[in-house]
Amino acid sequence: MPTSSPPGRRARVLSPGTSRPSSEAREELRRRLLELIEGNRVMIFSKSYCPHSARAHQSGLLQKILQEESAYEYDLIVIGGGSGGLSCAKEAAILGRKVMVLDFVVPSPRGTSWGLGGTCVNVGCIPKKLMHQAALLGQALRDSRKFGWEYSQQVKHNWETMTEAIQNHIGSLNWGYRLSLRERGVTYVNSYGEFVEHHTVKATNRKGQETYYTSANFVIATGERPRYLGIPGDKEFCITSDDLFSLPYCPGKTLVVGASYVALECAGFLAGLGLDVTVMVRSILLRGFDQEVAEKVGSYMQQHGVKFLRKFVPVMVQQLEKGSPGKLKVTAKSTEGPETIEGVYNTVLLAIGRDSCTRNIGLEKIGVRINEKNGKIPVNDVEQTNVPYVYAVGDVLEGKPELTPVAIQAGKLLARRLHGASSEKCDYFSIPTTVFTPLEYGCCGLSEEKATELYMKENLEVYHTLFWPLEWTVAGRDNNTCYAKIICNKLDQDRVIGFHVLGPNAGEITQGFAAAMKCGLTKQLLDETIGIHPTCGEVFTTLEITKSSGLAVTQQGC
Amino acid sequence: MAAYQEVCVCGFEEFNQAVEQHEGKRIFALFVGSKDTEGNSWCPLCTKAEPVIREGLKSASQECVFIYCQVGDKPYWRDPNNDFRKKLNVTSVPTLLKYGTPKKLVDAECRQANLVEMLFCED
Repeated sequence: MPTSSPPGRRARVLSPGTSRPSSEAREELRRRLLELIEGNRVMIFSKSYCPHSARAHQSGLLQKILQEESAYEYDLIVIGGGSGGLSCAKEAAILGRKVMVLDFVVPSPRGTSWGLGGTCVNVGCIPKKLMHQAALLGQALRDSRKFGWEYSQQVKHNWETMTEAIQNHIGSLNWGYRLSLRERGVTYVNSYGEFVEHHTVKATNRKGQETYYTSANFVIATGERPRYLGIPGDKEFCITSDDLFSLPYCPGKTLVVGASYVALECAGFLAGLGLDVTVMVRSILLRGFDQEVAEKVGSYMQQHGVKFLRKFVPVMVQQLEKGSPGKLKVTAKSTEGPETIEGVYNTVLLAIGRDSCTRNIGLEKIGVRINEKNGKIPVNDVEQTNVPYVYAVGDVLEGKPELTPVAIQAGKLLARRLHGASSEKCDYFSIPTTVFTPLEYGCCGLSEEKATELYMKENLEVYHTLFWPLEWTVAGRDNNTCYAKIICNKLDQDRVIGFHVLGPNAGEITQGFAAAMKCGLTKQLLDETIGIHPTCGEVFTTLEITKSSGLAVTQQGC
Repeated sequence: MAAYQEVCVCGFEEFNQAVEQHEGKRIFALFVGSKDTEGNSWCPLCTKAEPVIREGLKSASQECVFIYCQVGDKPYWRDPNNDFRKKLNVTSVPTLLKYGTPKKLVDAECRQANLVEMLFCED
């Protein structure tokens, strides 16, 4: 159904504003048009600037005309109601599709479960940041006396009060997600979804009742769950982040096993709330992050009372006393020799990594390939698996950052591409993130190690400085602890390819600079930017000392 | 169709008494702007929402108590320090909620039958 152009207007080709195309270009275009017409049973030509065509295209009406009468009950079934899954489902519904979300939380070995929303909302980012805030407030109370606040009460922390308040907030978020799905007409089913054959899933609810659903397309957004050690006593006596945020009793003296950001963040806020915390680390801290900064993160925690047992792994956990909390004995072996140590703790928190939930959802029945080693799903640049009608978003993806905003963005764009409204792909480059340890670490772009590997040391200029936040001066807190570092590519106008900040409000600081890096921030642009005074962020506008100069970065004053 | 017991109260004190009286039971509460002597509420959205909610009540799957609470006159409601706002976190009318849970619908949400049904239904 080719539309004819209005009289007096030249038939537009592909890009408006180009001058009259050459004869080769016209020939190429003619060939392409012929190909399209001959290669498809139905071809619809529409003008990109015609609002009627655009609307018909976006609402999916054109798509529906082109498709066969649908053999499936749903246009899209999303397995997993977390950050990625919900974002994708909502967007697909907005575009007029018939969508279902299957979300089900298999209880942890300790029996913990939660509502709709996924890891971030229930047992991740949200409760983590709130508990981190609780710990920061404890520190603020200590600082407050230096600022003139006088009170005679001894300040202590009530775990149950904090947890109840946080769980109430999470409950309102769960409810909010259910509302927003219902408002958009998305069918939400609280059942465990698994593939049984092509285009068909079996959904099993809490009571074991099974229902079958079919769909044209599927999105796997099943996320991950904490890994266990595989040693005696781990599942029976240890807890993980799945259990920590709703623990009905204070964990007491805690051993945190692991060196991931989960381990360090949890150890950090538990210590900040006044608990006796030990971290057992097999090798390095924060694998994948800039190691210079990672060590500073650990060292700050150590200076503030967190004990570190480096180069040890637990081999056995035994229960000495039952209780809430009880008493556990942990036996650990050195990774470097025959040394064995023992320790007694109220709680052992395992944070050694997370495993993808891809092994028990019937992927083998429809031939979706996964990485056998880690369970992750490899996808192409449009999040498509090796089975064309099956896509994946979020933490299950191979080689992509495991972050909520990444999953949300990928899910939304995927829904738009699937339903014809766009062809925009998710940009996984230079994604900012922050580790909310007691001293926060925000970063965007490359670590110094990665930059050196990719660009070679001689092509990089690293600017850095220590700094002392003004608020810390009167409070008498550490000088020469907070740290700022940027890595510049000398071969590309000193482009900032790595941004690192260790200090308070690191997340807030990093967000702005991430946008600047997306715009192609260079050292010169940074120097031309006037700082805001007095802030921590302003140090990035006055960076002078380079690593290559060998000059010291310790602060003297102001 | 389940049996529900309706309790009509006016003001914060009466509301709390009703909650105490029915402790242990499943309690739904609807907060509306108070009605005048002719039976008209100063809150038009409340008037519109009421029939939708009463219809939705019929689908409450198990026995429950439905507290119909008139909050007070408009000036009282507008006071940012009124007891409903400060002590119950009810900040607009109409509000429909399941007491003791995060389940809540506010304003125009109270008029949407599918959302009301979701609130009354048991998980």
